Amino acid sequence: MMVGRDVQFAVDKKPCEVGKPILEVEDLVVPSKVHKNNAVRGVSFNVRAGEIVCVAGIDGNGQSELIYGITGLEKPTSGTIRLEGRDITNAPIRERSKAGMSHIPEDRHKHGLVLDYTLADNMVLQRYWQPEFQNHGFIKKNAVLQYAERLIKQYDVRSGQGPATIARSMSGGNQQKAIIAREVDKDPQLLVAVQPTRGLDVGAIEYIHKQIVAERDKGRAVLLVSLELDEVMNLSDRILVIYEGEIVGEFDPKKTTVEELGLYMAGAKKQGEAKA
Amino acid sequence: MSKQNKQPLLQRPAVVGVLASLLSIVVGLVLGFVLLVLLNPGAAVGGMRAMLATGFSNMDKLGKVLYQAAPLMMCGLSVGFAFKTGLFNIGASGQYTMGAFFSLLCAIQFQMPWYVCLLAGAVGGAIWGIFPGLFKAYFNVNEVITAIMFNWIGMYLVNLLLANMPNMLASGWGASNSDRTAALNVANPGAILPRGPFAALFGNSSWINISIVITIIFAILVWVILQKTTFGYELKACGLSRDAAQYAGINSKRNIVLSMVISGALSGIGGGIYYLAGTGQYVLEKSILGMGFNGIPVALLASSNPIGTIFASLFISYIQVGGAAMQPAYSSETIDIVIAVIIYLAAFALLMRGIITKAVSGHKGKEGAAK
Amino acid sequence: MMIAANIISMTILFAVPLLLVAMGGMFSEHSGVINIALEGMMIIGALFACFTLQGLDQSGFGPAHPQLSMFIAILVAGVTGMIFSLLLGFAAINLKADQTIGGTALNQFAPAFAVVMTWAIQGQGLTTIFIPNWVRITRDTFGLAPVDGPSFWNNLIFKYFYLTTPVAIVLFIAAYIVMYKTRFGLRLRACGEHPQAADSVGINVYKMRYAGVLISGFLGGVGGLAYTLAAGSGFNSDVGGYGFLALAVMIFGNWKPLPILGASLFFALFKVIAALNATLTFLPKFEGVKEISNFYQMLPYIVTMIVLIFTSKNSQAPKAEGIPYDKGSR
Repeated sequence: MMVGRDVQFAVDKKPCEVGKPILEVEDLVVPSKVHKNNAVRGVSFNVRAGEIVCVAGIDGNGQSELIYGITGLEKPTSGTIRLEGRDITNAPIRERSKAGMSHIPEDRHKHGLVLDYTLADNMVLQRYWQPEFQNHGFIKKNAVLQYAERLIKQYDVRSGQGPATIARSMSGGNQQKAIIAREVDKDPQLLVAVQPTRGLDVGAIEYIHKQIVAERDKGRAVLLVSLELDEVMNLSDRILVIYEGEIVGEFDPKKTTVEELGLYMAGAKKQGEAKA
Repeated sequence: MSKQNKQPLLQRPAVVGVLASLLSIVVGLVLGFVLLVLLNPGAAVGGMRAMLATGFSNMDKLGKVLYQAAPLMMCGLSVGFAFKTGLFNIGASGQYTMGAFFSLLCAIQFQMPWYVCLLAGAVGGAIWGIFPGLFKAYFNVNEVITAIMFNWIGMYLVNLLLANMPNMLASGWGASNSDRTAALNVANPGAILPRGPFAALFGNSSWINISIVITIIFAILVWVILQKTTFGYELKACGLSRDAAQYAGINSKRNIVLSMVISGALSGIGGGIYYLAGTGQYVLEKSILGMGFNGIPVALLASSNPIGTIFASLFISYIQVGGAAMQPAYSSETIDIVIAVIIYLAAFALLMRGIITKAVSGHKGKEGAAK
Repeated sequence: MMIAANIISMTILFAVPLLLVAMGGMFSEHSGVINIALEGMMIIGALFACFTLQGLDQSGFGPAHPQLSMFIAILVAGVTGMIFSLLLGFAAINLKADQTIGGTALNQFAPAFAVVMTWAIQGQGLTTIFIPNWVRITRDTFGLAPVDGPSFWNNLIFKYFYLTTPVAIVLFIAAYIVMYKTRFGLRLRACGEHPQAADSVGINVYKMRYAGVLISGFLGGVGGLAYTLAAGSGFNSDVGGYGFLALAVMIFGNWKPLPILGASLFFALFKVIAALNATLTFLPKFEGVKEISNFYQMLPYIVTMIVLIFTSKNSQAPKAEGIPYDKGSR
């Protein structure tokens, strides 16, 4: 690998110290935008403080819609979502953000960034309304710039003209780093990360994995969606397999194999049935 | 600010944008001259001189440039403001008509002073702007179609109302014609816009009043809203990427409606300002007023930038006054061809600008990778 | 009964330009290009067709072969509309410019160009191109003997009968078949829905979009001539906003041929009712209200808005319309 240093694919992790449940999802049903059936059909699980829970599955089995439902991009048909005990099932996106949810979206171009905004403006996309950055509706330009410069430095976001760079002109890895910087720096109780390393180079992947583990070690709850089985096995403390909109199995990554996960992901096996 | 934020002057987007617009104007004028030569070779040089020099030839003409630029600027601001939110407000014409009607209603029927009338114009335009906004936000109806529909509804509604308000018409105030509203100097001189302290500068030209000052203030106000406020930040985010705006928790429905209301109010003020000048009377028309449509080229030439809109409207008004002076050798519509060519080129200019910016940033990107 | 015949024939007369132009818009939008310049294309088509008719009239060919001349004029309208639409295609497809900007420029250009050309050819201040009186199809065209006095069928068919009407019917059927029964139509629609996918299976998106724009230019041009015939008083360098109205008809018709046909008839009917409201005894009279025709003029727009509220939730607008296609982008 030509990255000028050793790249570690396996992630160093301490054993997790699980705390109280942060995110609780009960019987969640989310409609699909593509077809008439529901994409998520009665899913229940929780994510506790200090653990990384990974939703694994083959693309198109409802994981995107599950995240839309949890983050508020799509209205769930039924079920409840609680964040730190507070019902946020029908809360607007801004409320979820205020309540401590951060979201690294699946599509960084569609959702994650306003591509024609500067990097600085993108860095405050979730926070521009906070008193720190605005005064009676007027944006404090200097505060925004300083904040952006701090994030750029701290999270090593590289770009042509610093905070003034138009986000569109940045490389995919640096765009993703910018989103992660923004979402992690919000100091969330729950970090939702959807395919955070898709299409990135190995250096960026390693960096992002470290950031996610660091959040977990700080005692945050992390909900990860990934299609990469290596990523699933390396990062997570608990694995939920989703198949056709339902969770068909829960695994401990230390006690399972990629092959076993594959059987569940393909729908060949289901835990509830196995027990029955 | 660290030094890496400083870009060379010629690479700044704003500078590139201005250069692109200027280039379109120059090429448009050259093509205009070619057209004049083709149409009537003998008069071409004189015609070109009339087009380019009339506006500055005397203070009266300059006054007329400013008088026409004011409503044009408001319509340009209106269209540009909506563009920034990702909406195409082709309904500026209807909003302008409604603004004119509300202003004249307050002026003639209710005998209000000019500033109240102007405010009423803003309300009228805002009411007409809210429909495309509501339809777009809550019923998913394309704003272009709603706006086109409401242009016609507005025109017929104003015609119907005026025809049934004898007090509003010139015939109600001693004049003989019933196809237009009463002249303000007869009906309510207090509703005519003040001529301002600078009228003497313009040789007390009948065209001159404070309208241009008012509109420039509005242009600056719009610029401040878009550039300096969280509201502007949200509006632009909606316009640039509705999905990202939703992700950031921005209420895009509310912003669509608000943006159209403000856009409508700006057009409405344009309508008010034109008729409150006291030099024109609203004529019951059978076709839609062109002023609102002329706001579109103004906004496009200015790339929707409010400050750019000031200059774009002054320029278009300037060559329109010049075009009127080209008669009878050429029809004044020749100017519209020149304007059309400029806008067509401006569409390319956007592209040219994209290429310039891309080339610059692509170059930078390579340097970064090489390190 | 006579009035019914008049209403029907006038409705058809005014529906023809709307139908043609809205179908044109449909082709363009299904290929992925928003065609806001329909108004301009109508004007250009009408301008050159009217010049052609005038030229044929003066040369003596027109009065001798009226319907052949009319057919030539229709072709001229279509072809000039098509040439004009190339400007939109070039800006929108090759240069990937904003389609509304290009369209606005063309709309600004066309009426001004028409005035300047009319002046240049007819002389200063003469802004109307009059249409020769032999263009209408009469009983004489078919060698039928004239009827004495008013007759229902005679009024229905021959009162406002121009060659544009049968041509429009043929074009409508052809357009329907092309759009839904041919490989070309399927490919065209694919380019408006998902150009990347279309490209991936070997469809030349740029070519298809040009085809859509050119077809819309042709139909727009013919529609411009049809409008001028319907308006009756000659060509005055404008088409009364019918290009924009056609855009509304197209959206009202959900980008589909048959609903577009219905929508054009609907709009035309209201136009006719508004024009004839004084003579229509069955309409409410609104005693004491002046200029009530304005109310009837307003109605079709209001009804359209109400209908759109209920139908727009399942809008069939082409998904990629208005987005310039760039091979490089994902």
